[in-house]
Amino acid sequence: MRLFALLCLLLSLVLAACGTIPSDPKDTLDNVRSRGELVVGVSPTPPWTTAEGPDRVGGTEVELIRGFAERLGVRPRWVVGGEQSLVAELEDGALDVAIGGFTKDSPWAALAGATRPYATAPDKKGREQEHIMLVPMGENAFLSELERYLDEQTGKTTR
Amino acid sequence: MSEPTFGSTKLPAEQQEALRKAKRLAWISIAYVISAVVAVLLVMGSSQAMRAAWLEDMLSLLPPLAFLIAARLIRRGPDAEHPYAWHRSIGIAHLSASLALLGMGVFVVGDSAMTLLSAEHPTIGTMNLFGHTFWQGWLMIVVLAYTGIPNIFIGRAKLRLAETLHDRVLHADGEMNKDDWATASGAMIGVIGLGLGFWWADSVIAIAIGASVIRDGIRNVRTAVAGLMDTRARTTDGKHIHPLVHEVNRSLRELTWVRDAGSRVRDLGHVFHVEAFVVPDGPIGIDQISAARDRLAALDWKIDDVSIVPVAELPEGLDAEVAHPR
Repeated sequence: MRLFALLCLLLSLVLAACGTIPSDPKDTLDNVRSRGELVVGVSPTPPWTTAEGPDRVGGTEVELIRGFAERLGVRPRWVVGGEQSLVAELEDGALDVAIGGFTKDSPWAALAGATRPYATAPDKKGREQEHIMLVPMGENAFLSELERYLDEQTGKTTR
Repeated sequence: MSEPTFGSTKLPAEQQEALRKAKRLAWISIAYVISAVVAVLLVMGSSQAMRAAWLEDMLSLLPPLAFLIAARLIRRGPDAEHPYAWHRSIGIAHLSASLALLGMGVFVVGDSAMTLLSAEHPTIGTMNLFGHTFWQGWLMIVVLAYTGIPNIFIGRAKLRLAETLHDRVLHADGEMNKDDWATASGAMIGVIGLGLGFWWADSVIAIAIGASVIRDGIRNVRTAVAGLMDTRARTTDGKHIHPLVHEVNRSLRELTWVRDAGSRVRDLGHVFHVEAFVVPDGPIGIDQISAARDRLAALDWKIDDVSIVPVAELPEGLDAEVAHPR
């Protein structure tokens, strides 16, 4: 039994050295890089996201994601849609990330993977809301990459 | 403070010391488990294995609490309403704790199996601490080590004291603590597996943890029920017949006026209640009975409540091998 514990420790050390943790069960991050394209679902919710057409999107979250795509060295492709259809597409793997002023407490956050809150802002009723972006469930390497980027953009990371 | 007792039984110095240490250990254990529970809660995220380990930690609060409550209750002496004093409270504490254990094991297995079947991929991202962003799984592993390693030592200390005090709850608690490292390292493997992209690893490990909790639960319910059913007194780990059972009979048979002797020894939790049946060689008086009673009481601190019953023939149901060795 002792040996078992020791082996576990050893195994974890070896694996840590590989640098493959965390990774994506469905290879989202690798696919984005090899495709050269980040597929972004946009649900228009000003001031976070606005859309006047598939290629005429704007808003603070759109700008953030533009920067993220640039950092990955890929082009963003925008898919405008309602929240429900975006969440379904995330589940199917048709989208890499979905934005639209989603908050931590919204029901959508439980149906997809969610980033850590990267900003707080009062909603219409004046309650502070923590804002998140949605990603496919369990794609932990991609999620970690996005969170790292958001931390840098919001000054949470000391460089 | 008055001298500690178990009911009306006075404790020898060694047991007094052990009881004091066991109580202190129970408090240490509670404080440590609470800190572990809070730490795990902060980092567990959506890991099913972490959740299972967390629930097990929560549950491990029950036995030390049960021990502390029972240790207070059993101090009370016997009265008209409670002629056998309050010793059984330890058995009740043991049964309640083990049923909770069993129930929680079933819950963990069911819950994790559902997660596995729905093929829901656990999402674990990063954390940001002191300006550094890192994968949350690493912190989970550190916290799991904190919940697992000290328990090994706490568990061992409890087992030693349980032996001295003849305390089943403390014994069960110690066993659980000692085995906790398996839960913790299991959960670590689950988290690492999840990190490597094997989303199912986490749930599978959680099911295994749940199964081991169920096994613990069943084992404990069995010993607790056996105690409450007044089965033959056994050693604290339940593996062997308690040597005192044989000693009582041997000691009685050594008396010159005793032709045969047999006894029913029941384990009230810490102390034994002895009903001894003796077949006298001829007419006997009160003096002989009292002397026999004192002789048994002198065997061990656990033996205090002794009835000696002179009979023409030994009743049935006494252990044949024990009752008729000659």
